[in-house]
Amino acid sequence: MSLSGKFFKAKSQPSQGQQNQSNQTSQNQDNQQKDFLKESIQTNLDDNLTKLKNLLGNSSDVVSRTFILSGKRSIHLAVIYIDGLADSKSIQHFILESMMLKCEEKLQQSPRAEEFSIIKDFAITIGEIKTVNTWEDVSNSIMSGDSAVLIDGYAVAIITGTKGWQDRGVTEPTSQNIVRGPKDGFSETLRTNTALIRRRIRDVNLRVDSKNVGTVTKTDIAVMYIEGIADPEIVKEVHSRIDKINIDAILESGYIEELIQDETYTPFPTVYSTERPDVIIANILEGRVGIIVDGTPFALTVPAIFTEFFHASEDYYQRADFSTLVRILRLSSFLLTLLVPAAYIAVTTFHQEMLPTRLLISLAAAREGVPFPAIVEVLIMEITFEILREAGVRLPRAVGSAISIVGALVIGEAAVQAGLVSSAMVIVVSFTAITSFVIPSYNFTMAVRMLRFLYIGLAATFGLYGIILGLMALVLHMCSLRSFGVPYMESFGPFNKQDQKDSLFRLPMKKMLTRPKLIGTANNVRQTPVDQYEEKK
Amino acid sequence: MIKKILLLVMIGNCIVMLSGCWSSKEITELMIVTGMGIDRDSDTGEYKVTVQIINPGEIASQTKTERLEVTTYQTTGESIYEVMRRFSTKVPRRMYLAHIQLVIFGEELAKEGIGKTLDFISRNHEFRTDFFILVSKNGKAEEVLNVLTPTEASPSVSLYSSINVSEKIWAPTKGVHLDELLNTLVSEGKHPVLTGVEVRGDKERGDTVSSLEQIKPAAVTKITGFAAFRNDKLVGWLTENESKGYNYIINNIKSTVGSIPCEDSGIIALDVKKIKTDLKTNVKSGKPSITIKTNIEADLGEIQCDMDLSKTSVIKQIEEDAAKQVQSLMEHSITKAKEDLKSDIFGFGETIHRQHPKAWKKLKGNWDETFQDLEISFDMNYEIRRIGTISNSFQKVIK
Repeated sequence: MSLSGKFFKAKSQPSQGQQNQSNQTSQNQDNQQKDFLKESIQTNLDDNLTKLKNLLGNSSDVVSRTFILSGKRSIHLAVIYIDGLADSKSIQHFILESMMLKCEEKLQQSPRAEEFSIIKDFAITIGEIKTVNTWEDVSNSIMSGDSAVLIDGYAVAIITGTKGWQDRGVTEPTSQNIVRGPKDGFSETLRTNTALIRRRIRDVNLRVDSKNVGTVTKTDIAVMYIEGIADPEIVKEVHSRIDKINIDAILESGYIEELIQDETYTPFPTVYSTERPDVIIANILEGRVGIIVDGTPFALTVPAIFTEFFHASEDYYQRADFSTLVRILRLSSFLLTLLVPAAYIAVTTFHQEMLPTRLLISLAAAREGVPFPAIVEVLIMEITFEILREAGVRLPRAVGSAISIVGALVIGEAAVQAGLVSSAMVIVVSFTAITSFVIPSYNFTMAVRMLRFLYIGLAATFGLYGIILGLMALVLHMCSLRSFGVPYMESFGPFNKQDQKDSLFRLPMKKMLTRPKLIGTANNVRQTPVDQYEEKK
Repeated sequence: MIKKILLLVMIGNCIVMLSGCWSSKEITELMIVTGMGIDRDSDTGEYKVTVQIINPGEIASQTKTERLEVTTYQTTGESIYEVMRRFSTKVPRRMYLAHIQLVIFGEELAKEGIGKTLDFISRNHEFRTDFFILVSKNGKAEEVLNVLTPTEASPSVSLYSSINVSEKIWAPTKGVHLDELLNTLVSEGKHPVLTGVEVRGDKERGDTVSSLEQIKPAAVTKITGFAAFRNDKLVGWLTENESKGYNYIINNIKSTVGSIPCEDSGIIALDVKKIKTDLKTNVKSGKPSITIKTNIEADLGEIQCDMDLSKTSVIKQIEEDAAKQVQSLMEHSITKAKEDLKSDIFGFGETIHRQHPKAWKKLKGNWDETFQDLEISFDMNYEIRRIGTISNSFQKVIK
């Protein structure tokens, strides 16, 4: 609640949203610091270093190396970088070594006026280089791993690209596994992630717009899309929503997701997130906008529609007929995991006449001796399962086996043996659990997990009538959702014949001629139809 | 905003908490009634209702005790509804009638008329219409419900499935559901029949487990010929052959076995695959007549005699004999209905009503009398399609 409150405030008065929160003294400190950051660098190196020291404090990871070059005069220089973020080897080789050993001769031969350009253009043998003259730019560059070279007598700093911190590297994604398809996953480094995308889309129109969000964390964010395919309106909207964010920290793309989504009060995600580069790429190619956040392997794409959460990237790598069947399976699993416990309650407490006689007798036999009403029985088991699942997610690996043993005993054998729950209920709970794992998108599963309890309540009070009422409300709610202007139930409501090719069904590649109608508006044609037989002739 | 949401949540809570659950009933609070028998108590003249209920605990394999899977309870009262409520003085749970498989009338009560009892059954909301209605032949309804059956835990379920299977493959059987019975009762020109059931063997021992502890159960229930009614009163019983003829006439046979005697000794069994009977009515100067047109397709099933099946004339002969045989079955049951029962159980009157509605207006007044003189002719068409995997029988060679 409070987070969204901030969001609304931030929307209306973006410049003050954050400062209202902080108290008076820290505000003064903030302002002083801000004023200082706006100041320019001075010519005196010692002054500059003192000021920098004031700014950064006595942090132990800030390395400031001063040295002297003897040219026409003895030039005092300083290299400032942050240990761990900057690659100390390249600083040693391409800044210090090349300056100290290779350029003194040249400096002595050249006029004094050229000494700055000799240092900048000749001595520093690093690709990414720029000059800045405010403290703000200097501190930002140092914080992101670059190093600043300050030269006595010049009111500028040379920023050299020396980013090089320890990286987890490109590893297999842990949250979305597939059998066939690329096995690389995003990592925590923004550049690695954008590179993974760029490597697969060699098109000049792929745009990577950089943003910096978070007043304290100053997290880098890249907005990626293909110009000419993505709807310019949506791109504009993404930019403006991200620009409106005024928060202290962005620690994960989940922050961005919550801050830019259309509707806060819905269980359904309206922003798609994944750690698979191939999914992001496929989405970008369909005209969606990718948002990659530094520090997390989870990237976002918008707009996100309902059916998207039932698609796995593997659907496109394996046979179309099989993929279609699997999608139908997933959608039915969604309904089952949502409704099976509710239906169990409704049928066993309100509509016994709906069951075949033999089934009713078996159910009655299973329920015989259970002391609780069906609703209590269902709640006990469902909550137990949710507890087990939650415990299992955050469990240290070493005790993993303990939970499975205890869980299996509690939820299965013991509860039935003790006569606390019926064996039919154990089947219901296991079935709901298994079907919930069929949905490929984890954050969509969470919606179902919450809604399941709503339907259990409805079923316990109104029976099937309640379930149907709830389903109607759910459909209405889903139809009212929008993701960046695109209806959430796109291709079903509003019905769109062309997009049926890739919603519940997955037609063969030859038939997938267009991009989604409401998303890839700028350039809808994906391929020109190939007639195999004519080619053979 | 927050106030509004809170208000909505509170309203939602009120709806759920104040109204919720009023019609809910847990399975463990119900007694699942699978069979119901209605008799007339000869002493008091009240209705005597027997219900057969399931003991779910005994069906669950893990908690089996010495108790039986089914139990019957009996109570009397002036109305069925009263009896059903009075049961609560004997049983620990609520009677649940939606899963009734059978309603059985005792022969005595059926002779008096079943109409009054049917009102409760059709009015009560728990009853479905897919149970079978039976008449207990030569006995009381309770006797049928008190026989334990070997394969099915519940005797009612056993009898129910038995009727279901039998009416598909055995010509003399037909199950009658409630809706069909009620339709027939209210229609002019048709009287109902109900499936008959009787207990064979030792009735006294049939209700004990010892009956099932021998390979041949001491008592078994058996589906018999139809109980024929005039309006709601039982007037007589059809034999197996008459029942078969009845089912041929009303076009209610899916498949069956027909047998005709050979010229010498032995019989030919025919696997009847397809039967279609049409009734053609004719009213000439106020006098109705009916033509029964029957098309039958059959395969040769078994031949116990020496015949040359390669000749078409032989096959023709078999077809003719079989047709005659079916015709005589029909004639028998019609004669029985006309002379013995004096009840139009075939619905000839209804057919006339449908085909000649104007003439029916004059006929319906004394249809029961007119039916007895109804002129009936037959148009038989019997075809043998296949003779099986061998042609001539090897009976001759064995000799």
